[in-house]
Amino acid sequence: MDVRVRFFATLRDAAGRDESWLALEPGARGVDAKATLVARHPRLAGLIGSARLSVNQAYQPWETPLRDGDELGLIPPVSGG
Amino acid sequence: MRYLTTAPISWERVTYLNRWASHDGCGAVVTFVGVVRADQDGRRVVRALCYETYPEMAEPLIHRLADDAKARWSLDGVQIQHRLGLVEVGHISVVIVVAAQHRAEAHAASEHLIERIKQDVPIWKREQYDDGTSQWMTGARELLGVADPAGADHADV
Repeated sequence: MDVRVRFFATLRDAAGRDESWLALEPGARGVDAKATLVARHPRLAGLIGSARLSVNQAYQPWETPLRDGDELGLIPPVSGG
Repeated sequence: MRYLTTAPISWERVTYLNRWASHDGCGAVVTFVGVVRADQDGRRVVRALCYETYPEMAEPLIHRLADDAKARWSLDGVQIQHRLGLVEVGHISVVIVVAAQHRAEAHAASEHLIERIKQDVPIWKREQYDDGTSQWMTGARELLGVADPAGADHADV
């Protein structure tokens, strides 16, 4: 299955791109996407530990099972206001 | 976008939001205005903040926060505006207007909303300094490492 990943702020700078598509095994969870991303973009390694996961624009635990076509967001600590 | 704007927020706009949120049933209107501060970081001084967001997630999240606050404190009106893009020192980055029957509810809801926005809404700021460098504010400053000398090249966020 394929998922779309969107990068923001520090994670976008580290990945060098706004988004990426990942091909994952059926039954993959957020943590599997995380591992695949770090392997592909090693500069994410030091930053992704403090990031939250969003799936289809809502915060979800990293253990969340993913579905084909999901939009994942890598949300570094926010700093609005 | 309803809550996020790339256009400057004027003080006239703040007045308009106050009038819009309040009506005859209101006894209290609390307005929080966030303004960009000339913070010092070592020898550098902040001259502007550059905000970016995940709009498809931030807009509905702010909407839900406003709806939840309305229900929890029986508010008469809520208006929220948050800037995106470059905001220079002295300019407005965020406005929250809460109208309620009594001041206790209005103050509590206003404080709650700015806290939730700062903790949960996917908005990030990058500090732009007077020496041309810049740095993301994502969590504790000490975790971010030293200033990125190439930061000024990233000013298009």
